[in-house]
Amino acid sequence: MPSAAESAEDLTDFEAVVRLHWPRVLRFAMASLRDRDAAESLAQDCFWKAYRARATFRGDASVGTWLMQIAVNLVRDYARNRRLQFWRRTCDFAVDFGAASRVVPDEGCSPERSVAAKERVAAVWAATRGLSERQRTVFLLRFVEDMDLLEIAAVTGLKEGTVKAHLFRALQAVRAQIGELK
Amino acid sequence: MNRHLSAEEIASWLIGERSPQLERHMSECPACFAEAARMEAALAEFRGAVRDWSEGRVCSAWRPQTRSKTARWLLAAAAGLLVICGSYWEFRARQRAAEAALADALLLEQVDAQISRAVPEPMEPLVQLVSWNTNAVNAQKSGEMQ
Repeated sequence: MPSAAESAEDLTDFEAVVRLHWPRVLRFAMASLRDRDAAESLAQDCFWKAYRARATFRGDASVGTWLMQIAVNLVRDYARNRRLQFWRRTCDFAVDFGAASRVVPDEGCSPERSVAAKERVAAVWAATRGLSERQRTVFLLRFVEDMDLLEIAAVTGLKEGTVKAHLFRALQAVRAQIGELK
Repeated sequence: MNRHLSAEEIASWLIGERSPQLERHMSECPACFAEAARMEAALAEFRGAVRDWSEGRVCSAWRPQTRSKTARWLLAAAAGLLVICGSYWEFRARQRAAEAALADALLLEQVDAQISRAVPEPMEPLVQLVSWNTNAVNAQKSGEMQ
């Protein structure tokens, strides 16, 4: 993790910041919203907010953590928007959920193993769908973004214990879903 | 640890909190090890799927809002042009209003003139005829008297 001073200095070249952090923010948004267009809009919003607020960035956290904080807040706002929630319920399974479940590397796998892998990925997706917004966020930050508990706590503003509790719940849901594949 | 791991202990293992007791149990219990491995594999596949899915969607649309000098000049010129057009339009509107007011005044004058006539314009020749006859009769009367 870069030091605070380095982080604040890094923001002077904002193009480079975007290039470096865009994939992570977009990936988190896509996994959270399961809607490609909404995720891209959210990533745009995230970087615009950061760009406008770059002068006030004090470097208490790394740029990456700061950007993920903004992204997590935007995902939360998005989830709270009932109108968008309606559309999400209506169309998410039809579009991106299916697309994402098909994206499993096939190299070196037999067709049976590939099918089994796709089923497991679909099961995890299905489990995350049933999680609360907080649980899903924490789960994605840990198991897609590989963040440790302290970093997740910094990004979400939750206590470490709360993060752990959300992760336990999420993992139980995933385990139950995977268990159904037996 | 003789019993199998609880759901919370498996979760602790998966999130990386691995106590020596957990490590020992995992090394001694093939069932728990297989369960944890199955979950780890599913989570790794999920991570890979999400990453592959979002890969390639790099920031194509985001551009910082830094305007070049040319853009600033163009913006200023456009603003100036807008002000000039606005002023001209206002001037023309006022001019049109003044012309309309003048035309109205002229019309009203004409109407007043028409209304103030004792006899409508089309009947004026008849009035002149009557006046002419009256004058002729008066002249004749005065001639007879003389």
